[in-house]
Amino acid sequence: VTISKNDRIREIVHAIKIIMRMQKAQPGFRKSEEAYYRMLSNYFNRILEAAGKGDFIAAHTVFFPAEIIYAMGLVPMHTESTTWTISLFTGKCDDMVSKGIELGMASEICTPHRGLAGAYALGALPKPSVMVWSNMVCDNTAKSGELIMDMFDIPGFFLDRPFKDSRNEIEYFAGELQDMITFLEEQSGKKMDWKKLGETVAHLDKEIQLIREINELRKHVPTPFSPLGFLQLLTVDYLFPGQPESIEYLELLLEELHQAIKEGKGAVPKEQFRLMTLFLPPIYLMSFLDKISQKHGAVSVVEPFFTFWGEGRLDPTKPLESIARKSYMIPEARMYGPMDDRAINSIKQCAKEYKVDGAIYYADVGCRHSCATIKLFKDILNDMDIPVLTIDCDVVDETSITPGELGEKLDGFFELLEDR
Amino acid sequence: MTESRPTVNIKLPTLEKFRVMNATFPKTREIMEWKQSGKKVFGWLCTYVPEEIIHAAGILPIRITGSIQETELDDGNAYLYVNSCSFSRSCLQLGLRSEYDFLDGVVGGSTCDGARRLFDLWRQYIGTPFHHVLTVPRKYTEKAHQLYYQEVLQFTRHLEDHLGFKIAEDKLLESIKLYNESRSLLKALYDLRKMEKPPITGAETMEVLNASFRMPKELFNSWLKDLLKELAECDCANTGRARLMLIGSVLTNPDFIKAIENQGGLVVTDELCTSTRYWSDPVILDKNKSLIESISRRYLNNFPCARMFPSDERFDRIVEYIKDFKVDGVISQIVRYCVPYSHDLPLLIKKLKNIGIPLLALDVEYGTPGSGQIQTRVQAFLEMLEVKTK
Repeated sequence: VTISKNDRIREIVHAIKIIMRMQKAQPGFRKSEEAYYRMLSNYFNRILEAAGKGDFIAAHTVFFPAEIIYAMGLVPMHTESTTWTISLFTGKCDDMVSKGIELGMASEICTPHRGLAGAYALGALPKPSVMVWSNMVCDNTAKSGELIMDMFDIPGFFLDRPFKDSRNEIEYFAGELQDMITFLEEQSGKKMDWKKLGETVAHLDKEIQLIREINELRKHVPTPFSPLGFLQLLTVDYLFPGQPESIEYLELLLEELHQAIKEGKGAVPKEQFRLMTLFLPPIYLMSFLDKISQKHGAVSVVEPFFTFWGEGRLDPTKPLESIARKSYMIPEARMYGPMDDRAINSIKQCAKEYKVDGAIYYADVGCRHSCATIKLFKDILNDMDIPVLTIDCDVVDETSITPGELGEKLDGFFELLEDR
Repeated sequence: MTESRPTVNIKLPTLEKFRVMNATFPKTREIMEWKQSGKKVFGWLCTYVPEEIIHAAGILPIRITGSIQETELDDGNAYLYVNSCSFSRSCLQLGLRSEYDFLDGVVGGSTCDGARRLFDLWRQYIGTPFHHVLTVPRKYTEKAHQLYYQEVLQFTRHLEDHLGFKIAEDKLLESIKLYNESRSLLKALYDLRKMEKPPITGAETMEVLNASFRMPKELFNSWLKDLLKELAECDCANTGRARLMLIGSVLTNPDFIKAIENQGGLVVTDELCTSTRYWSDPVILDKNKSLIESISRRYLNNFPCARMFPSDERFDRIVEYIKDFKVDGVISQIVRYCVPYSHDLPLLIKKLKNIGIPLLALDVEYGTPGSGQIQTRVQAFLEMLEVKTK
């Protein structure tokens, strides 16, 4: 396996190193932040190292149960979030997206997937040993694997996750997980360590419990958690499901939030607006968004599709069934499952329990399944007298919205909230 | 290969009946008469919904489709947003404008993002007395078949609970036979298109196909038998500059095909969810399986949609049709934001290139009659095919 000179992973690792150095120099740098960047750096270093040594890398799509890959002692590479991370840390995604179009991918295919295929074609990411993917969360994820398999002439496994959570469907999905393990065993020559998988599921359960506890603390007024910190909570499950480092990070964070509440410290100097965030903001504008949030005292206190986990516990003695169940507890499962009363009521519950003043709907133009509910969620929240700002954007395409445009929309929205 | 244009057929009175019926859809005379007789009508949103179950319950199943022509979709855009496919938006728009207010139920499947969101918003904003969404696996494994069987069983129970009676086995068997008859009649129609000079054009065939999911099957079969008789007796013969196969997303506007055929191409077969993907495979009765399991197996094994894995199942069927219908070139029409088909395209192009079949890829909006730009591209494609065959 060769690493291209165009390697974006190396650039991510380098950028994380610089950010950590800069952050450490700031007063009040939190231990949890350090733990977060350290684990992020380790994640990408592990990929680099595996690529260098020719070790087995399993590329996988979003919400794919990477805990299985970890338990087998293999190296996971999260495809979509790697595209986002490239955008976040290097700001260089345009060439990848263009390359995706060159490959024949239609412009309506979302940029993380176009960018991903483009990144592989450019040699910006190391060649995986296998591609494993699922239909969580949308048609793009369901359809993304075969092109990558063809591009690299590598084997792959498609994990079919049923739409609803009936007993039959959970059993079917657990069977799919077993088949996928068999596939990975055959391809990698490594056997599943079932004891380790049980431990991973126990960690996973703890991780979800910790996130629930953190969410409880976020209900506090003023909220102690940083304005856009939810992206870190999201990353924990994307990249480190059931891993000891994610527990370490979450425990440190929980402790810091308890301390902040004890000291009466909010996440922003003066909390003005408590927001619900619907879907992903443009990743490339995160620092800008952070500044504007600080300026207006606006904090995202709840994200029903990213951090607000569904009910239930995991049983380490039934690891596959637990992992199957987890796929229905994931916050975004509300979006890729039936949009029924259960899903709709959770939005209402979030708005009420977190004392939300307004909601921001980041309408990623490439994301069909999330944009199709804009009107629905707006109507639900408006009925609760909660205004909703919809921002047309793209998660990684810098041409979709500029900081100026975004700032203008947010300024206007915060003025409206202030008038109320 | 001659350069004559396909002739417009005026010797087929039954085709005219199909045209008239389609032109008045959704509130056709046939559907309204059904309703007036006190019977129920259910709409379905995807070809994975097992119609036989609905039919056996004494209900008329019809496919929910959008406007006949490309049109402004103000309501559809407002409720579903512009990045949902225009088919979903067009269907929802008709629903919001009460064009489907006669429906007593809507049944969908978890087939693609467009279909499931259409179902979600239909339930929320339009509402009908009965709603059901089926989980449709994306694989063909035995486990997937067992899951889908359970899903179809659950749907049947839900429907029976709603109606307050059990669907009788003999009724189910009658429905299977009726739908299988319809499939074999459509196959007979398609077999005629394998001829060197088919008696029916692609645009004319689309009228028949549209009617196949918009009217009582009993009546449709009787009309189609009449049409097949007329086709056997008339001296209709169509030729073109090239024999084409039309593939891709949902399509119901015959004018789109007419626009291609007006350029001299003759559409002899297709792979669309309103055509072969709807009717091609029969329910195979197996004494070791229940009728419901036989139905569920047929729907999961049917000519696959691009949502299914592996894509080669679909590609191989396309290649088979190319050979059977002696196709010179393929036109892919993909409705914008139809992601499953967009993702498959690079792989399909590669596959067809390997067997020397050129593909023209068109991005369209649902309902388009075939704009000037499309006609120009088709014209260039036909010229290329002619050069290739010389």
